Amino acid sequence: MKILLIEDDREAAAYLIQALDEAGHVTHHAADGETGYAMASGMDYDVLIVDRMLPRRDGLSIVESLRAEGDKTPVLILSALGEVDDRVTGLRAGGDDYLTKPYAFTELLARVEVLARRSSPSEAATSYEVGGLTLDRLSRKVERDGEAILLQPREFRLLEYLMKNAGKVVTRTMLLENVWDYHFDPQTNVIDVHMSRLRSKIDKGHATPLLQTVRGAGYMIRD
Amino acid sequence: MRLTATFILIFSLFAILLLAFITWQSSVQIQRQQANDIDRELAALQRLDATGGIRALAFAVERISRNPGPGVYYLGDATGQYLLGNVMDIPANVILEPGTYSFDYERANPLTDPPTAIGRSGNGEVRDRKTGYAVVRSVVTSNGLRLVVGRDVVERRGFSAIIVQSFLFGVLGIILFSLIAGGVTARRVLKRIDTIRDTSTKIMSGNLSERVPITKRNDEFDGLATNLNAMLDRIEQLLQGLKEVTDNVAHDLKTPLTRLRNQAEAALRAGASDQTRQQALETTIAESDRLIQTFNALLMIARAEAGAPSGALTDVDVSAVVADVAELYGPVAEDEGIVIETAVTSGVHLRANRELIGQAMVNLLENAVKYAKPDAEGQGRIMVGLRQLDGRVLIEVADNGPGIPEEDRKRVLERFVRLEKSRSETGSGLGLSLVDAVTRLMGGNFRIEDNAPGVRAVIDLPAT
Repeated sequence: MKILLIEDDREAAAYLIQALDEAGHVTHHAADGETGYAMASGMDYDVLIVDRMLPRRDGLSIVESLRAEGDKTPVLILSALGEVDDRVTGLRAGGDDYLTKPYAFTELLARVEVLARRSSPSEAATSYEVGGLTLDRLSRKVERDGEAILLQPREFRLLEYLMKNAGKVVTRTMLLENVWDYHFDPQTNVIDVHMSRLRSKIDKGHATPLLQTVRGAGYMIRD
Repeated sequence: MRLTATFILIFSLFAILLLAFITWQSSVQIQRQQANDIDRELAALQRLDATGGIRALAFAVERISRNPGPGVYYLGDATGQYLLGNVMDIPANVILEPGTYSFDYERANPLTDPPTAIGRSGNGEVRDRKTGYAVVRSVVTSNGLRLVVGRDVVERRGFSAIIVQSFLFGVLGIILFSLIAGGVTARRVLKRIDTIRDTSTKIMSGNLSERVPITKRNDEFDGLATNLNAMLDRIEQLLQGLKEVTDNVAHDLKTPLTRLRNQAEAALRAGASDQTRQQALETTIAESDRLIQTFNALLMIARAEAGAPSGALTDVDVSAVVADVAELYGPVAEDEGIVIETAVTSGVHLRANRELIGQAMVNLLENAVKYAKPDAEGQGRIMVGLRQLDGRVLIEVADNGPGIPEEDRKRVLERFVRLEKSRSETGSGLGLSLVDAVTRLMGGNFRIEDNAPGVRAVIDLPAT
């Protein structure tokens, strides 16, 4: 994946570039807003990671300009401003996701990988299938190897989100944001307990578990 | 004092202008009245002359000349020879040239001076002669005689003098009165202002407990003083809060920072095994995550207490939020042997901040799950409720745990306050403070009640 990182903090940028490289992504770096904007509009990237506060041109205005030009490259906004209103303005400017500093790299990586998928056409799919597990978004039916699985509405949405991003790590915060629509860190293991219930419903009695826990990061569904 | 002087000056000037206007108007009015009288009398006499001839005119002039009053009458021939009237000497030009004149004259008393005595003036000693100043009009009658009718204006002048005199007295009185009244008022006002200034000086020098004294008069100054005092109370309270917070922040952030540092040192220590290092680094990350959480909670409380911009409050289905969070915690509670019962009136909307209400509910449920204890049936119980009551919306989270002693129920809402019993549990001591701040942001009040046994946390919000 080709990523453009627009971040003025050299140390943070160097760390991110190295970590993204280790995860198998090619990352270009711009240290200020103007350079970043020029690079973003001149080249094709899979994802842009844009710091909100930048020298010479602020992050939100870069995103706004790109969107105005019809550029649909997914954007992850990084910011030290983490209040609800800040997030709302960030997303309204055209950002696809918003991550508050300080963040864990696993969180950033998971979000970047999920974002990149957005530009692929499977977004509008009406059903998902992972290793014999099928989920029909219209009839809201879930089956594994032809056997119907009964899920609570919330469990259905959890599974739907996981399957939409099959093969990608999704973090607990991402689940809370996308399934419950809240943007705080759950303090106890609330999400884990929901996941273990879902797991027991879809994986119990099957030789290959589909729902996997990724240590220190989150969850992933894959065959 | 300058303000008072200015007011007195403006007030006096205005009064003087008013009086001057009245004086001028009345003298103009009197003059006009007199001129009218003269014209009317002259016209009547001329009519008499035209209808009754010289005899009727002479008779009339003689009769009216005897009337006491300011009237001035003269009838003479073209050469200036006096015939009739109460004035004998008339300046020559008045006789020669008909018109309006004013002049000094000597008035003959028609009662003592025989008016018909042509060419003689009694016994030569004319008694009781009055000197005066007259305004007259002279005309030539049909048979060439000169008729002069006028008014003595000394009387008029006397009247004007009275007006001017009362005007001066009036002005003097007004200035004197406004000086006294202004002085007294200013002294009283200044005294009140001085007390306020003294108080504020004391406060500025550091004594924040000082208050502006309030009198029993209940006037505007007392209103101002009451407001100032209320403002000072609030400031003192805020400063007190700030001081406590900084003290607590210092303590509650330094402790984990010290642990963080210790872990890093442990990892660096010579001879530490790879496994120790790995563990130390993991603890470091976990510790810094906790610090970030504490920090975020503090910021959130500060934002909520500062009063979020009104844009942050939107129409929120609070029933859905409460039910959502209860559902979110359902599985966790169940794993702990706790059942969450919900009694949520659906479809209740409020002007609120969804994220903050959600976070408040999460904090309450975290606590409830932490403290709910198995009852006689071996079951821990949490009740989550939302109901409407008398124009209020009550959100309740109750557990059957050990509860909070009555004397601590207010204290636990303060930042970083953790009761001895809960020291062993994880937590920052900020959870209930945030709930309290969020509730107040939305115009409600948050309280801890006795659930007998356990805690009943009540978010009491005004319905919108």
